[in-house]
Amino acid sequence: MYEVLEDFAQQNDLRETSPGLKLFIGVSSILLCVSSPGPVAPLLVAATMSAAVLALAKIPARFYARLLLVPVSFAVMSIAVVLFVTGSGAVLLEVPGLPLAITAGGANLALLLLARVFGGMCSLYFIALTTPMTEIFDTLRKLRVPAVFIDLSMLTYRFIFILIEEADQIYRSQVMRLGYGRFRESVRSFGMLAGALFIRTWESGEGLMLAMDARCYDGRLGIPSDSRPVSALALAAALLYLSAVFGVSLSTGGLVLV
Amino acid sequence: MHIMEGFLPSPWWEIWFLVSLPFIVIGLYQLNKLVQEKREALPLLAVAGAFVFVLSSLKLPSFNGSCSHPTGTGLGGVLFGPCIAAVLGLIVLIFQAVFLAHGGLTTLGANVFSMGIAGPAVAYLIYKAGTRAGANTYATVFVAAALADLFTYVVTSVQLALAFPGTAGFLGAFSAFAAIFAVTQVPLAIVEGAVIMLVFKYIVQLKPEILTRLDLLSESTVQKLREAAA
Repeated sequence: MYEVLEDFAQQNDLRETSPGLKLFIGVSSILLCVSSPGPVAPLLVAATMSAAVLALAKIPARFYARLLLVPVSFAVMSIAVVLFVTGSGAVLLEVPGLPLAITAGGANLALLLLARVFGGMCSLYFIALTTPMTEIFDTLRKLRVPAVFIDLSMLTYRFIFILIEEADQIYRSQVMRLGYGRFRESVRSFGMLAGALFIRTWESGEGLMLAMDARCYDGRLGIPSDSRPVSALALAAALLYLSAVFGVSLSTGGLVLV
Repeated sequence: MHIMEGFLPSPWWEIWFLVSLPFIVIGLYQLNKLVQEKREALPLLAVAGAFVFVLSSLKLPSFNGSCSHPTGTGLGGVLFGPCIAAVLGLIVLIFQAVFLAHGGLTTLGANVFSMGIAGPAVAYLIYKAGTRAGANTYATVFVAAALADLFTYVVTSVQLALAFPGTAGFLGAFSAFAAIFAVTQVPLAIVEGAVIMLVFKYIVQLKPEILTRLDLLSESTVQKLREAAA
């Protein structure tokens, strides 16, 4: 799953676009979604971001649909609470025998939240599927994020892939030896997996330290960056798109600053 | 528990960023000092961050067949203290948001506070108090990890209830969110406590120098624990 997402980020059709521009579009759309008072603007963002991912970046539609299903469970649970807790306006539905009712106010808020979450998720996937992590680090460096933070993130990122592979191998061999047959066994096996993983991780960290020392590591990682200029046309199109969304957000519910 | 992108409305996501900021700044300051003093700290912290990421993306065995994920926050808190754990938590959450769309960028502040600060702080305090009181090390780790996991969910419920008090008021909304998130989490918190305890046991048996180097256990305690196991 992780590798697949990153593979698409490396190979999609928007790969050569400036990472700064892609991040700017993604983050601004998220902010527009969160601050929009009505559900229309977030839904518009969701539709356009999905269109960009599918048509411009050429991500397979089936894969994208599967990704969108991932966060559904949290959304359903939290929105159910909001639906029942918020009570104002006409009562639409009452649960017999329980002091629970869905009101018009609650339903509107739930719909707005659903739209915002959906718009936000699509914008996040737009960033995740079009921009490789290494380019995000590069952009962060240009934004003057502390170097020690970026170095730590890059090393962490590198190790995530190594560890996932090891965890997967250990898990498979445990399953083959019936390690997850009963509940007691599965807790024991899982503890063993996590413990072995931690120790192996630590050892590979020490190995990395040696390798870096041998290459004159002095506490800083120097990595050259390549810069791709933002074309004026792309920037103008992005600004036009964002102001269109902002206009829709204003016209469908007025301006809400706080 | 990750709050999703777009879920927290406007004043709240900014507020949680502001609340988390001081911890991150202190954590970065400590980190900078640590890296200058001990150059080997950076790679070791990096693997610890990756470990937390991988651990929190693995499925935890659970009673009812539904899957849940360990938070891993307890271990980070016990090993590195709450401020550095907050920086590691921030990195892990950014990765989860940007390449899994798990959590989000505007809700990052709130998620860092619940998973990167509140959970590890609880684990750290319980661990310190337990070792000072001379309690059994494994029991202390179990309680620290289980309560850190549970507390993370309680904080998430508080965050959601503050943002959506509805007509029931803060307390009413809190009990509703807590009933859904925190109460269902109790058995999972116990499993996570047991798992982290086992991790700790394996480290003591196979590579105790990690723990002595981080000043978590003295040589004599390690010796005692290994003799007890043998």
